[in-house]
Amino acid sequence: MPNPWLELSTWPFQRTASYKLLLTELGLVDADKPYVEVRDDCARQHRSPAVELRLDGPGGRTLWPLLTFTQGALILACLPLVEAPPEPRPPLPSLASVSQGLALLSGLQDFLCGPGGKPEPDVLASRLAALPSVLLQVCPLGRPLDTPPPAGSVPAAVAPSPGGAQKQPAWKAGVHRGRVVVSVALTEKVRSMQYGKSSQQDIWDVYGMVMCKCEVEGVLPNVSVTLTLPPNGSPLQDILVHPCVTSLDASILTACSVDENDCSAFSGPYKFPFSPPLELFRLCSYTSQVPMPPILGSYQLKAEENHLKANVVLKLHESVKNSFEYYEAHIPFFNQNLMGSVEVKVSSGQLEVSKEKSLLVWVLGQKFPKSREAALEGTVHFSGTVAGPTDPLCTGLTAYIKLYFRVADAVFRYCRVDQHSVQVYSSAKPRIVTTRELVSSEYYIWNSTGDAPVSLKI
Amino acid sequence: MTIADLWDQRISAFLLSPSQFLATTSTESFLAELLHELRNDKTNDQLKVTKTLLVSVLLEHPTILCPSASVGEETALELLSVFSHTPQKSIVLKCNVMLAITNVIICTSCLNTHTKTAEDWLDLLFQMIQDINDYRCGLSQQPIRATACDCLREMETCSPGLLSQKLEALYLLKQQETTVLHQSYCLLYTLGLKNAIRILTNQKDVTDLEFKSILGGNEGFAWKSNQLELTSLPINMLVQVPRLTQGLDCKDLKSIMSLLLEESYLLMPISQSALLRELVEVVAMVPGLSRTLFKSQLLRLFGTADVSLMHATLFMKDTFTDSLFTTEDENFLLKRLVGMAQHPLLRITEKLFYMECILHFPENRPISSSGEESLPVLVTPRLAAFLHPTVFNDSATMLCRLNLLCLVHLEANEGEADKGIGFLFDHIMALLKIVDNDGSREVVVTSLRALFIFLMHFSGMEELSEKLIDKLCDMYSRHSRLAPNLIGLADRIQEHPRPSLVGQVAKRLTIHNLSWHLKVLKRVAKEGQITQRNTIYLLLNVLINSNLCERGNWQVGNAVLAVYRNLLDHPSIDQVFIELADLLQYISIQYDDTDIKDHARIYYTLLTNLSWEKLTGVLAKRLDGGRAKEPAQSSSESVEATGEVRNWLEVYQGQFQTPGFGSEVTLRYNLTHAKETDPLFDKVFTICLHFEPKDSNYAKVTDIHVPCVFRDRKSPEVKVKLKPFQPYPTSLCVSAMFTTQDGRSWHSRLPDVSVSFPEIFLPLPLPPNSSRECREQVFERIWEATASGNSDKSAISLFCFKPEDKSLADLIKTHFQGYLITDQQSERSWKVLLFLPPKCHILLKITQAEDAAQVSIATDNRELLPFLNSNRWLNRCFAGVHLHRSF
Repeated sequence: MPNPWLELSTWPFQRTASYKLLLTELGLVDADKPYVEVRDDCARQHRSPAVELRLDGPGGRTLWPLLTFTQGALILACLPLVEAPPEPRPPLPSLASVSQGLALLSGLQDFLCGPGGKPEPDVLASRLAALPSVLLQVCPLGRPLDTPPPAGSVPAAVAPSPGGAQKQPAWKAGVHRGRVVVSVALTEKVRSMQYGKSSQQDIWDVYGMVMCKCEVEGVLPNVSVTLTLPPNGSPLQDILVHPCVTSLDASILTACSVDENDCSAFSGPYKFPFSPPLELFRLCSYTSQVPMPPILGSYQLKAEENHLKANVVLKLHESVKNSFEYYEAHIPFFNQNLMGSVEVKVSSGQLEVSKEKSLLVWVLGQKFPKSREAALEGTVHFSGTVAGPTDPLCTGLTAYIKLYFRVADAVFRYCRVDQHSVQVYSSAKPRIVTTRELVSSEYYIWNSTGDAPVSLKI
Repeated sequence: MTIADLWDQRISAFLLSPSQFLATTSTESFLAELLHELRNDKTNDQLKVTKTLLVSVLLEHPTILCPSASVGEETALELLSVFSHTPQKSIVLKCNVMLAITNVIICTSCLNTHTKTAEDWLDLLFQMIQDINDYRCGLSQQPIRATACDCLREMETCSPGLLSQKLEALYLLKQQETTVLHQSYCLLYTLGLKNAIRILTNQKDVTDLEFKSILGGNEGFAWKSNQLELTSLPINMLVQVPRLTQGLDCKDLKSIMSLLLEESYLLMPISQSALLRELVEVVAMVPGLSRTLFKSQLLRLFGTADVSLMHATLFMKDTFTDSLFTTEDENFLLKRLVGMAQHPLLRITEKLFYMECILHFPENRPISSSGEESLPVLVTPRLAAFLHPTVFNDSATMLCRLNLLCLVHLEANEGEADKGIGFLFDHIMALLKIVDNDGSREVVVTSLRALFIFLMHFSGMEELSEKLIDKLCDMYSRHSRLAPNLIGLADRIQEHPRPSLVGQVAKRLTIHNLSWHLKVLKRVAKEGQITQRNTIYLLLNVLINSNLCERGNWQVGNAVLAVYRNLLDHPSIDQVFIELADLLQYISIQYDDTDIKDHARIYYTLLTNLSWEKLTGVLAKRLDGGRAKEPAQSSSESVEATGEVRNWLEVYQGQFQTPGFGSEVTLRYNLTHAKETDPLFDKVFTICLHFEPKDSNYAKVTDIHVPCVFRDRKSPEVKVKLKPFQPYPTSLCVSAMFTTQDGRSWHSRLPDVSVSFPEIFLPLPLPPNSSRECREQVFERIWEATASGNSDKSAISLFCFKPEDKSLADLIKTHFQGYLITDQQSERSWKVLLFLPPKCHILLKITQAEDAAQVSIATDNRELLPFLNSNRWLNRCFAGVHLHRSF
């Protein structure tokens, strides 16, 4: 037998039985039918990355482990080779091909969808057309060797490398020729759930990533990036590094978010020596527990006769630069009729009622007032007869505000990366560009007078 | 259409269903055409694309196109010549042809049987990979060389040991190659090395010289080593890792390994993970190699963001346990896995995979080594708390986390567990609250899955499960559309003696959404521990106080009867006996549908005349819709009994593949003169009869030509061939055109021809010489298929009567002579099959009891039942008296 590590079909698969089963499994057909036994049986294990398709109904032949990635209308699937007797079913982690399949599918997804994730139809079509030859290259005879290059990542000014004395890394198709430029971008995202109640603890955390693009000459040039923390800064946890990082200090990896009583607290500097690939890549990522969220908020919503009374206060933490690229607070109303009259005052910024009449958008603009505090107060009437959007969570007084903001050139926890923290071992003098930003992600402030869904950890 | 388009179409058709495609042509001719097109010398870009497509067919389906080794060898030879004639610059095509040749040679066992072609191909491949750093052929030919390495690696994988005598040559090539291709050489060499050592482990008392000779091998291909079929299984799948003898000199091997590890960094992550796995296997097999070789790589691997590298690290952990990983390492690795399973920057599928890895974490000191699933002891409630499910998780993540947490709390100490289970319980309640607010399918299904997982683990905690069930009942009273989900859940937790979910639900039923409720009640009636009083009162209430009976809907009636069917063999039926009898009698009189009335009457009779034991016996054997198990058992028995006997049903159904088979009914008529007509019409000539079906259930009838009709001669026979789409009674308008003796043409309207229901019957269309056994088998199979209720069009009905004047046997003979399948007068039972074109069946099982005859009717087209029932055709056949009158 040949050794097809992964069955890959790039031909029209639409009318085959397996395809129909897959669509059923993913809930993409018969979506309007509330109960389809093969799909909705409560005992079907729907909690693994691998799907099982029963080709001949219950008790019949099965296709397992089918890995699937769905993005928009695109479904990527592969069937890793099971190098073991099928019964008893081997645990997924005992199969080498599973992680390779996952890596291949991630790569294919990046290749097809590009960095934005939503390619134009004609762009997607041309990438799909290139798929067979890409697969031939990265997965000949069904055995993955590599992941396809992410779409649009082909760097300029690259010369093919002739066989020299030094071995060329397989992940670097050539060498860079020209000016030496290293760009390092640090992005931190902050998440929060604030309840405004003594019975429910507020939670927040930060995660960050360092993206690099290095145009450096040589087959295996050495570059290093060092992240530093201010004194008493909380350590970077769960650090994950790109495979091009050559070595790591053990202390860098010790901090882990699941270690509650971690007193050993190594607080940097975090040095990442690496030899860069040609394309843009994520050098490292981390999570972090910070003592305070950048913005503290309170939200009180009360029902009075036929209207709702809202009271919001937002307070910017003193450590955050008071200069936003954008800052908005969205106040949605679910399971209500559409909004009628809105009598709401804001102490700063301006208030907009969305076209859909179900959402208030409080645009705080670029700056908080000097007091670093902003407030909103007023009543909202729902006089319309047309029902607004529904949400299963937000019933009664269960309601939230979601914050959207971005602070450029500032990192909340002062995790620093600047020109001095980048070292390039190169004969030419390098140009080093560093940027940093803080962006909100899943930042919720729940109404303190209503029930809020519990989240022990985000 | 261009040739390219034509091939595009054909190849798509082939790939969609090779067997269907090849049924229209032969494999040989298709293969010949493919190869012929590939040999086509013309080259343009369009043709290159087409050729690549053609090669991909051979690449994906070599065994279909080359069914034997000889065809395989010929094809490989052909492809070799295609390869050598393809111009240098058609790189993609050349690479594809190379892969196709390799695949054909492997799949048709040319490789295993050591054919000349395989040998030539191997030699050619090996020659290609000699061109290190593209000195000879140039950079443009690099992909060819990469493909040659891939092909060799594939052949080594499928024939382990093939390269075992060439390791020195491969090592040198790997060392000298400095372009990106060194990855291919590196993987090829490592695989060859691992297989060579694996083969050596089968040998007793390996000497230093033998051991060294594998590293220094520079000979031909080792054709005979493929006796080791299992060598391709990775070591974690083996019960015992094969090992070389102790005390061998491993100095050279050690330095080779160190170098490979050092350079592993230069490989792509996926290839790197494959390389690491091979190296782990080598170290596991050679006792002289220290596991600490890997130490230098561990930190780099612990920190990796790449899923395949992390997975390879866990493989290393699994293989070497405490000989490479300290307790701290182990704790650290597990914590990292937990951290990664919730890392905001990883993909959901990766996180799900890491959760699987936590469940199967390879501990240094596992509690059970039997391989059965048990949670690693290191996964403590405190650690797992970080993976607590929340309502914000996507479905798969939430279920995965919940399952993990349930397992953890099952194992935990009491105090800790109670708190944890409390949290999980709150989570489930939160989910059910969401279901209550929003019934989107995914939310409902996910929440019930979560509930199921919880109940499976904590079924012993009665208080919690009762609360959950209360909540479910409460929800059902508001959202009756949850019925199928709840029935599914009830079925699944059946094995666990829980306070019955369905019983609780039954208390909340109301008149709204009756069809859902009837389904629930049907299921409730199967619960032996639940008294059925509520069900019966509810139904009584519904039937008497609504217009259900007047509406006479067959489906609703059937659903009501299905509840009764289950009630009849309920163990505590005696408690509600009178009410049930009342109800059945009420339906049998009031329900405005004959079939439902008849059914109700039978149930009534059975209920009032038989003891409970007999009743359940009868229900299990006779009546339709019985317990699911019974039909399954009987069908498996019949399969066993028939053993190797041909499956006549398949033969029967196979006939319908022939277009037009069994689609026509021929009706014969005599064409005669009307009683009194003008003498001018005594002799008419060239008559053309034209038929017009009055409905759309029949195909157009072709005109019939009759040469002449003379009043004083015998009237000619006319055969009207009807082709029903739906075999319902119909009538046809008939008109005639004809000429009289004086040469004039006439047009006349003839009386309509009506086609009655029995006229459409045909005997079972089997070849005339078919045995009785065969006909019986077909009958039984169709009966089973119909009775199983799998198709929504099938139906089962029952009819009882008391034969009056004639004996039952005579009646059957009169009406069903041509359709009898069996006629066992001695046992007083008959089987009748009525075939109705295009492919409908009505099956009758007629049995005679002491004073009544019973006709069980099965049909695969429910629409036909009214013609049997409403027109009382069966009644007329048997001049029957209804059962309820005879009792």
